[in-house]
Amino acid sequence: MHDIRYNEVNDEILVPNPFSNAILVFRGGANGQEAPIRIIQGAKTRLDGPDRLDVDTMHREIFVPDGGRVLVYPLDGNGDVAPLRVIEGPDTLIAGQSLAIDPINNLIAVTGRDRSILVFDRTANGNVKPLRVIKGEDTQIDRINQMAIYPQGKLLVVAMPGRQGDVEPPRVFVGMWSLDDNGNVPPKWTINGDQSTLRKPFAVALNPDNKEIYVTDMRLNGVMTFSVPEIFEPVAR
Amino acid sequence: MPGMEMASLPAAIHAMEALPKAEGSGLVCAVPPRASAAGFAASPVAAEAAAEPPQDVTAGAGTAYQSRTRAGMINRKPVRYLKDPYPAFSAIAVNAENDMVMVTDENLFRVVEYSRRDNTPAKTQITEPRRVIGGPDTKTEMMCGAYIDPQTLDVYVTNNDTQNWLPVFSREARGNAKPERMLMTPHRTWGIAADEQRQEIYLTVQDPPLVIVYRKQAVNNEAPLRILEGDNTELADPHGIALDMQRNLMVISNHGHRRFYGGDGHAINTMTQPWEQWVSRLDDLNSPPRERLLGVGQFDLPSITIHERGVSGNTKPLRVIKGPKTQLNWPSHVAVHEGRGEIFVANDADDSVLVFRESDSGDVAPIRVIKGARAAVKNPTGLSVDEKNNELWVASMGNYTIAVFPIAANGNAQPLRMIRGGPQDHTALMIGNPGAVGYDSKRKEILVPN
Repeated sequence: MHDIRYNEVNDEILVPNPFSNAILVFRGGANGQEAPIRIIQGAKTRLDGPDRLDVDTMHREIFVPDGGRVLVYPLDGNGDVAPLRVIEGPDTLIAGQSLAIDPINNLIAVTGRDRSILVFDRTANGNVKPLRVIKGEDTQIDRINQMAIYPQGKLLVVAMPGRQGDVEPPRVFVGMWSLDDNGNVPPKWTINGDQSTLRKPFAVALNPDNKEIYVTDMRLNGVMTFSVPEIFEPVAR
Repeated sequence: MPGMEMASLPAAIHAMEALPKAEGSGLVCAVPPRASAAGFAASPVAAEAAAEPPQDVTAGAGTAYQSRTRAGMINRKPVRYLKDPYPAFSAIAVNAENDMVMVTDENLFRVVEYSRRDNTPAKTQITEPRRVIGGPDTKTEMMCGAYIDPQTLDVYVTNNDTQNWLPVFSREARGNAKPERMLMTPHRTWGIAADEQRQEIYLTVQDPPLVIVYRKQAVNNEAPLRILEGDNTELADPHGIALDMQRNLMVISNHGHRRFYGGDGHAINTMTQPWEQWVSRLDDLNSPPRERLLGVGQFDLPSITIHERGVSGNTKPLRVIKGPKTQLNWPSHVAVHEGRGEIFVANDADDSVLVFRESDSGDVAPIRVIKGARAAVKNPTGLSVDEKNNELWVASMGNYTIAVFPIAANGNAQPLRMIRGGPQDHTALMIGNPGAVGYDSKRKEILVPN
């Protein structure tokens, strides 16, 4: 399972299941072999092995990167639900491995072709061009796994586990960009280096209240908590 | 999670680095220094008095990469770190004639060897393996299958979804050893079995669900001999695989996750380039490209599908064991005892081992169930049958334990012997390939799917 998101408004947990082509929703306090309370699955959904997702509780939508497109469902969708919107087409440049939503600034960050991060308007639909493309050698992007956004800081946080196939990739880090960044720009901050102990960071989640980033590391089978107060600085809107 | 307190850990872990104690019940430890290739090769004789946790061949400082940033590279220690310092035994292969018990460890990324006569005394923390293979040169990570070649004693290991390789190690391989050879395998390869008569290896792939058969000596990007795949096969997130050479059968365990090819149910091969080119690509996840019905999927019941051994294409199984009476729940590795005509199933999510007749079909109850506190089977995934000594070997991911039972064991059976890689009565963290993380702001909990 390659994503998990908590919906704090409804106290629910959402996960994708690529092998059964479904989005599952559990109670927030689910434990043990408990059944999901809702399942999005069926021909109308157009899902094709969903691997990651994110939740917009403000506008009550679920976003699913799905190969060359992004599918958007109602947050309370259940059963064979058609997507509300689909961002797809050659102009989008989407290679949808991962995604994160900023409901405050109305933006979506999604992985793109050629090791890029694409920024779209939250309500984008159809064959639309991204607003911004973060791409190039200075970005130091090899591969992107889970992403998260701190909307108050307009900050995108990305797990970079290095090249696929490398057992211990040389270039791994947690990278952070402004959602206003565009072009061949280095990350604003990274977490990496010998003190960090990171070997292959696979996922990130944010806790702004504690000013912490949670990082899972596949090569260590561990979960690390980094205290990073400097990144949780709101920006003027 | 009893016993998972900082105070119960060996003193060496406390001494490694002073980190704050975790909130909750998880293990917290610091990362020990990286081991040298020679440093973690265990002594040739099992040392049952050992009290330290096993050497983590992956542990050590982070990468030395100096990133270019605009505001700063944050190179600081984590304030908290959840990590289990003990192994997660996942797959097991036993060669009784040569006293080899090979076990894969999905937590510390090692293949370890024990003697079949090892038995960890109750007062002893762990039994040290007599051989350890692990390190970046081994090309091993999430190792979920193991096979011992009965002639050469080479060990075959399947990686699941982080490395698309099947490394083969010689009888002499130790430490950070390069494999004797490697075969590029599809993403999400899981189980392994071999047909020594035809010199073929059989692998299961979780998704797209298939059984793929190669020459046993296949290397690099060699194409498979045949593939079993399609709606008719009833393969549904296949995991374990076993062959019965007497009855010419192939037995597969399935978790029940399904997608469908539609139409006439035939697998649709959409590969646009030769296998040898496709499988050697490193720029994607190497999932065999397949066109399947969009949106359609199913959470089917777990099953054991029984097929004719040499089948390929979109062929129906001979029979299927499936239904509520079966008690199947995440069935993982399977093994057959040809003399008894029985199928043994490591039933992961039910903390049990189930035994069926090979002739069983439909919604049938197992003829025996090993389960209970005395049996010490906790999230078992690995399983192997030793027909020579009529013993059943069970590797549990949930309690660092390998348990050996008489072949006819039933109920809350006392194991004949137990090999422990971690402290008794501890429950393992079971963090394995944590591909995502979430934060529950209401309960102030970190969510970690595996």
